[in-house]
Amino acid sequence: MKLRRKLFSVKDPYDLSKDELFLGACRENWSYLMTHCEDYRKISEGLGLKSVDDIKRPEDLPVIPTMLLKQHDMRSGAYLASATSSGTSGNFSTIRFDLGGLWADLKMALKMSSYHKILSPRPCRYIVMGYKMHRGNKTAIAKTAFLTTLLAPAVSRKYILKYRDGAYKPDFEGIMEAVCKYARGKLPVRFMGFPAYTFFLLQMLDEKGVNVTLPKHSKILLGGGWKQFYQEAVDKQTFYKLAKKVLGIDEENICEYYGAVEHQILYTHCRNHNFHVPVYSRVVIRDPDTLEPIGKDLIGLMNLITPLLTATPVLSIMTDDLGVLHDGSKCGCGIEAPYFEIIGRVAPGEIKTCAAGAADILNGAGK
Amino acid sequence: MILYAGTVYDSSEQNRLLDELKTRIPQTLAREPLDPECVINAIDRLRQDTLAGKFDELLVNLPKDTVAAYKAQAAVLLSKDMLHLKLKTELGNTAEYETEGAEGFSRIRVRTMPLGVILHIAAGNMDFLPAYSLAEGLLTGNINILKLPSADDGLSLKLIMQLIEYEPKLKEYIYVFDTPSTDIYGMQKMAALSNGISVWGSDVAIDAVRKMAPTGVKLIEWGQKLGFCYVSHLAENAEAEEELRALANHIADTKQLLCSSCQVIYLNSDSDEEQAAFARRFAPLLEEAVGKNKSDEIGVRARDTLVSYTARLKDILGEEEVADNVIRMRGCSVLISDNSRLELSPMMCNVLVKNLPEDRLTQVLTESKNYLQTAGLICPADERGRLTDTLLKSGLIRVTRAGNMSAYFPGESHDGDYALMRYVRHVNVEL
Repeated sequence: MKLRRKLFSVKDPYDLSKDELFLGACRENWSYLMTHCEDYRKISEGLGLKSVDDIKRPEDLPVIPTMLLKQHDMRSGAYLASATSSGTSGNFSTIRFDLGGLWADLKMALKMSSYHKILSPRPCRYIVMGYKMHRGNKTAIAKTAFLTTLLAPAVSRKYILKYRDGAYKPDFEGIMEAVCKYARGKLPVRFMGFPAYTFFLLQMLDEKGVNVTLPKHSKILLGGGWKQFYQEAVDKQTFYKLAKKVLGIDEENICEYYGAVEHQILYTHCRNHNFHVPVYSRVVIRDPDTLEPIGKDLIGLMNLITPLLTATPVLSIMTDDLGVLHDGSKCGCGIEAPYFEIIGRVAPGEIKTCAAGAADILNGAGK
Repeated sequence: MILYAGTVYDSSEQNRLLDELKTRIPQTLAREPLDPECVINAIDRLRQDTLAGKFDELLVNLPKDTVAAYKAQAAVLLSKDMLHLKLKTELGNTAEYETEGAEGFSRIRVRTMPLGVILHIAAGNMDFLPAYSLAEGLLTGNINILKLPSADDGLSLKLIMQLIEYEPKLKEYIYVFDTPSTDIYGMQKMAALSNGISVWGSDVAIDAVRKMAPTGVKLIEWGQKLGFCYVSHLAENAEAEEELRALANHIADTKQLLCSSCQVIYLNSDSDEEQAAFARRFAPLLEEAVGKNKSDEIGVRARDTLVSYTARLKDILGEEEVADNVIRMRGCSVLISDNSRLELSPMMCNVLVKNLPEDRLTQVLTESKNYLQTAGLICPADERGRLTDTLLKSGLIRVTRAGNMSAYFPGESHDGDYALMRYVRHVNVEL
């Protein structure tokens, strides 16, 4: 995976001159998957992609929907660690990490964090609006939340979701007490985790008449659970204003992430709150009827591509998210790479059918 | 949430309430039976309020075109006239009568009475199904215990509470529990209280109910089915083009999700060339129909496309599909298959085309005898009678025009039975 190493070592995370390197790393990843993952090879060949020359652009790669990964576990070669998506519906996908992928992931996270000034040597206190890692919890969000607390030295970590009596329960009271205590101290506070919980906490603090000014350099880092958050359509300006009012944290110290367990790129908001696509990945928006790539400024299904991992065939995945891609220059933050907006999700719920149940049997009985 | 005799309780109260129900049921049974007119009046008021938009906010999660279709159906099917017709068709004359008697035997009085208590285990695959099943139980005067499907989003409960508001008498006849199917203990308790269990769902669901039902309880099963269309001698059919268009519309409209939806198009032929030629002819018609039926909502379209694409990849993984026997069109496909098995298509407008000559029809269909329900038929007029007979003899329940495979026909049976007839008993009293 020479080209992967090279790609994830690129200094400027938004370098626009690396298209050729990106395509090369994708082809390298594809070739590996073709020889190490029987299912991937079948899909690729079934879609008519038989030789590396068939892949002329990243969008030519076979697209694997996360929907398929949730129904059909695919693995390719050795792995060191694994994570599962935090699926609430009972279906979840398992993503495995190879050593090289983990290294590349770490390098990418450090570069993105450093670029966006989240990486800091200044010790701080963390309030994690998410799960505390424990043995029985393999969800990626728990790991991500924990890893994020390493971006600046941690003096303490407090988790809102506590594992008690076999289930996770939110402890808003405990968090509120901690906030008031930390406001009297000197160390910056970092909030990390689910936007929905964070917003709920802000509302609760506001209702109780709490308004403190947390120490300088305090930040709110938001990631995970974005999908629900977008559905609830909380106006971002409302969020920013509330954070300022209740905690004294300015808009520029609120940083948002986007990512998926199947696509471990740490998309980080720029100062204009846009997600630019870094050198490590490509975002292709596809027509909701034909899945053909469509141009900028049009809404479609989000296809995320990165040659980060080899232990799971997640080179090019299709999420359930609907999004739009814009020209980087329209943002005005200085980053020229294109940026995307999440517009929503595909229609909720399982497809309802009464014909499908009958098929299970025929498959069993008919053969 | 639990709805128990008109009051809402938390799910945690389930066991206490089920214990209490044991003493409550005999009290209700001992009273004057429920008059179907009460039920009909309440349903008709529900219909009027639905049409007036009273429940629109409950329907916001459904696609707009679906809501419009539901309302159009409710307008007709829930009307007083239609409900009276349903009672008459399904139960016949329910007036009490005395038999003529026979030499050496006593005469009897015959009366139609409710079964008693019916447990409804409704599947989550059709909106309104739980409420519909419950309404059938009420129309026949039964006490109803309804186990909601896990996928129910609160719509059923709200509609049922509305019925009770219109007609408070109904509350003694309605007990709704949101017990998960995994709560075997709770399910067994409900089953033990019942005279009949009406279960809708997949084979897995029905098998589970059979295992937990007490011996002797009447099982009323509504299983899942597979629909198909049989096409014979197109060249001799003057209306061929029109009928194929109607079939394409049916596929695009139901997206092949219903029991009655067309999964497979069978050709009365043995020729691979004819099969391929048919697929080429049908593909553009299907594409056109899909284009016309496309939802305006991007989220719905994107989901359908994703499901269909995922099914395609799963087929590739199962090596069931070879790339050159599929005609792919925009938003749909026609899959040419080399076997004649009745099977589920990938759905979402991806239809299978198979050869099945008339002389093998019965043999092939009897292999799937428990899953037969609706067959669309496209054939020359002089073949219709003969082919209809063959299909019925093979086990089909409904034979329709291709475009009407999922249509509702007032007076029709459900999988060969009149539902209401299964919810009553005919009692005899010696004179």
